Amino acid sequence: MMNRILSLIKIDINNTYGLSAIKYRLKSKKDRWQIILFPIIILSLLPSYYLLVSGIYKMYDTFLVIGQKSMFLLYGILISQLILTFTGFLYVLSKYYFSNDMNILIPLPLRPRDIISAKFFTMMIHEYLTSLPIVLPFIITYGVKGNEGLIYWIYSLIILLFIPVIPLVLASIIVMAFMKFTNIKGKKDLVRIVGYAIMMILLIGFQLKIQSMAGSSMMNDEDFLYRLVTDSNLFVRKLGVSFPPSMWATLALYNYMSLTGFLYTILFVGLSLIGFAFMAFLSERVFFDGLIGSIEVHTSQGSGRVKASDFSKNYSAYIALGLKEVKLLLRTPIYLLNSVGGVVIFPILMIMSIFLEEAVPMGELNMLIGQNYHIINLVGIGYVTMLGILNCVGCTTFSREGKNLWIHRTMPIEVKDQIFGRVLSSLFVQLIGIIVLLGCLAYMGLINLQGIFLITILGLLGSIAMTELGMIIDIYRPLLEWDNPQKPMKQNLNVLIAMGVGSLYLLAIGFLTYKLMEIIDIIFIYGILAVVLIVSSYIFYSILLRLIKRQFEVLE
Amino acid sequence: MLKIRDLSKTYSKGQVKAVDNINLEVRSGEIFGFLGPNGAGKTTTIKMMVGLLKPDSGHVYIDGIDVWENPLEAKKKISFVPDTPEIYDKLKGIEYLNFFADIYGIPKDVRQERIERYLDIFELKDAVGNIIGSYSHGMKQKLVLISALIHDPQLFILDEPMVGLDPKSSFKLKEIMRERCNEGKTVFFSTHVLDVAEKLCDRIAIINKGKIIALGTMSELRNRAGDNESLERIFLELTDDE
Repeated sequence: MMNRILSLIKIDINNTYGLSAIKYRLKSKKDRWQIILFPIIILSLLPSYYLLVSGIYKMYDTFLVIGQKSMFLLYGILISQLILTFTGFLYVLSKYYFSNDMNILIPLPLRPRDIISAKFFTMMIHEYLTSLPIVLPFIITYGVKGNEGLIYWIYSLIILLFIPVIPLVLASIIVMAFMKFTNIKGKKDLVRIVGYAIMMILLIGFQLKIQSMAGSSMMNDEDFLYRLVTDSNLFVRKLGVSFPPSMWATLALYNYMSLTGFLYTILFVGLSLIGFAFMAFLSERVFFDGLIGSIEVHTSQGSGRVKASDFSKNYSAYIALGLKEVKLLLRTPIYLLNSVGGVVIFPILMIMSIFLEEAVPMGELNMLIGQNYHIINLVGIGYVTMLGILNCVGCTTFSREGKNLWIHRTMPIEVKDQIFGRVLSSLFVQLIGIIVLLGCLAYMGLINLQGIFLITILGLLGSIAMTELGMIIDIYRPLLEWDNPQKPMKQNLNVLIAMGVGSLYLLAIGFLTYKLMEIIDIIFIYGILAVVLIVSSYIFYSILLRLIKRQFEVLE
Repeated sequence: MLKIRDLSKTYSKGQVKAVDNINLEVRSGEIFGFLGPNGAGKTTTIKMMVGLLKPDSGHVYIDGIDVWENPLEAKKKISFVPDTPEIYDKLKGIEYLNFFADIYGIPKDVRQERIERYLDIFELKDAVGNIIGSYSHGMKQKLVLISALIHDPQLFILDEPMVGLDPKSSFKLKEIMRERCNEGKTVFFSTHVLDVAEKLCDRIAIINKGKIIALGTMSELRNRAGDNESLERIFLELTDDE
């Protein structure tokens, strides 16, 4: 059995990360350049990461001063485990249920738990790539600044290895149960998308509520100051309840010199293993139930015949292309959740966190802003512009075509229509994001008519630039070989690169705005911003014109 | 209609010559069959004709227009049916066809008439309102065929078109090919099915290891090979290495 799982893991890793393909590509001169170029692009992300890490480094001192340095560790572990849990849902969903290799694996004499275990390990590797950049700065800062001993580093290694297990187990169990119970004939996709959205909002809401309750119960404690001094793990014990495994890992590392630390390590590792075993056991019972229905596609009830009205009038090429893109975005669950889901969730979380806070900080927020709507407008414009990358539409637009790209390359579509159509589909998603953002701001009383106008217009201009920037990266190195729609969307390095380059661009514009605010009136700044965004959109457009033409010719 | 001049493509740093300096001319009103064993260079040649693979050297002219110099104009005159129907699973059949009609600028009444006609021929009328993900392989293949016929191309290029089609549909497709040629349009297709090539094609080219080793009408090929040999025998003799 072990051999079977090992060989499944091997093939899945090879397939997921395209190892054989990389070897093959290294042989070709043209592709080799791309692979060498890649680390250079990753280096461009380093400045932003450096800022983050140096912030973490300073944070240690703050917790040290109030005698709660274990809280510093909890922060790192909790944040990474929560991120793994919440991103894990989508990942598990696509890996277990929407990947095309299932058509090959199911007919093979494999048990569900073999398949699930193998896929679980591949996901673990991917999750290290997510968790390590977050948690390592905390672990290293704590160890270096506190001069911790060898056992600390050994424990750290064990904890680091097991950090993704419980989040992935939780996500797997919930998703498997979810898929079994939403396996309803007919409107299955719709039920699942709506169900998923509700589930995420409830889970995140629950998480926020626990954190706020834990926080306020601690602050309202009459002996708070006394206990703060006497209990050096007070914060961890109180705030760790929102995700106990993180608390155990923290206490294991904090108490590494004593038996307590050892016991917490055993608890953390043991529960991870038991959780995994339970998940494998559960998969035997529910995995195929949810899966089998997912592969078959139901045709709509009644006839598939068309009426005269189904023959559309003649749309321009770019409109036809944009409409096609939007339809695919809306109808592919993974695309919908990543694009529209992404732009909708942030404002809703903002409202929820305010709702769930015991002491509403609205008053403070209003005081801070001092009715200065311009700050809100500028932040709003920056936020919408950033969504232009975070919605993933531009920076995956060619990758999402996958094997269908031949259609575009053999059709007589002008390059400018390719650009307009694809930008339009991104703007469609952006408009939804803008409407939700403005709705939330209006609900909090933080916006006026002028703000609505400015955020919409300048936000859309910024979105055009960002979408084009993403498209430049995507057409330069499109990810066309995939078997699972999650790959071009979330496992696509183009998204990460676009985020890096996009945030540099946004930082530059933010810096410019900040400097300008000291010398000229705010009204002019909006004008200058508009000019900068239009000019950069035009520059990106010109680059795209040439790049798409070239790539459509040379891609093989 | 189609002119291929000194066309070459190599892989693996020039070690493998997939297509080796081939020359071809296909006249308007012809059905031209492109034959060869697996890996002979058929698909590579076709990909260079439709803009999917850039040649290392040589030219492809469609009605006098160089495909790689003036791709947009050349592509307006052709349509391409690949060997595997990779299309958008999440679109409805009719949406896919409308998309094609939009790109080629076909007015509503014309597209309706053409689409309905081909849906009838390929018996896809009852499925075209459903999403493509629910189609069988053969149904997808038929949809790709219809999408390729919407703009009534001057040159219809097909890579292994009979694979995956049921006997009735493949008969209908052959009828359509013949009909188009009678209207003065051109059909170029690759195939393994020698019977089809023998009965349908006006002229045939056989490609092996990237080179064209035989070219002509059926009777010209027979004359070369000796009396009354079947295309199968000719093919086997020509492509046999030893």
